[in-house]
Amino acid sequence: MLLVALVRPMIPLQSGVLCPLRAVTGIPCPMCGMTTSVIATTHFDFGGAFAANPAGILAVATACYLLVRRPLRLRVSLPMVSVALAAMWLFELNRYGIN
Amino acid sequence: MTTPAAPSGPRASFGERFLAWIIDVIVVGAATGVLSRVGILGGLVGFVVSYGYYVYLEGSPSGQTVGKRAMSIRVVGMQTGYTIGYGGAFIRVIGKIVSGIACALGYLWMLWDPEKQTWHDKFADSVVVPVSSYPVSEWPGKA
Repeated sequence: MLLVALVRPMIPLQSGVLCPLRAVTGIPCPMCGMTTSVIATTHFDFGGAFAANPAGILAVATACYLLVRRPLRLRVSLPMVSVALAAMWLFELNRYGIN
Repeated sequence: MTTPAAPSGPRASFGERFLAWIIDVIVVGAATGVLSRVGILGGLVGFVVSYGYYVYLEGSPSGQTVGKRAMSIRVVGMQTGYTIGYGGAFIRVIGKIVSGIACALGYLWMLWDPEKQTWHDKFADSVVVPVSSYPVSEWPGKA
């Protein structure tokens, strides 16, 4: 557990870490706001979740689906992911006033 | 729903995957840490590296990051037994966001999943297998 605690802060794509892109350039990445959004969703604050990053609600819904239905397969297509990321990025750029 | 009691083929163990993950975290963490001290350009490169590392290496024909190579395991397509390609690797790395929700439950999912898949494995339709059963001819290999 101590080892996990040691290395976890270095992991990309995890919660609780300031986005390196935003930290260095001030420009948000598509995943900015996801931590806030996921936490807000789990507290049923859907308005706050949507304002931070709507994809957080979708991520929690997907996690719930995987937990409850336990599907053997859940293939996601590349176009679906690409469009979602593009939409998330546009949302975050607008949120931070970068147009 | 009926689920098989055992995976349909050889799979990497949780311990192997966990150790590979730690090695990769150290490699990526060190690289991005150094790059972020160079300035804005370094930060941008570091951001690309933090994602590109997994997309390039796991999407390569070998399907091996540095950590997975050290642990003699690799990522392959569930149905094909061959590389998942860069597109599949991209889906896999983005899928780790969902896997990280709820105390990394999606990562731990492989402990009880019939095919030993994490959630991001399911999104990319991939499995992690031992090299002893799925040999690697070249690392990372030409696409």
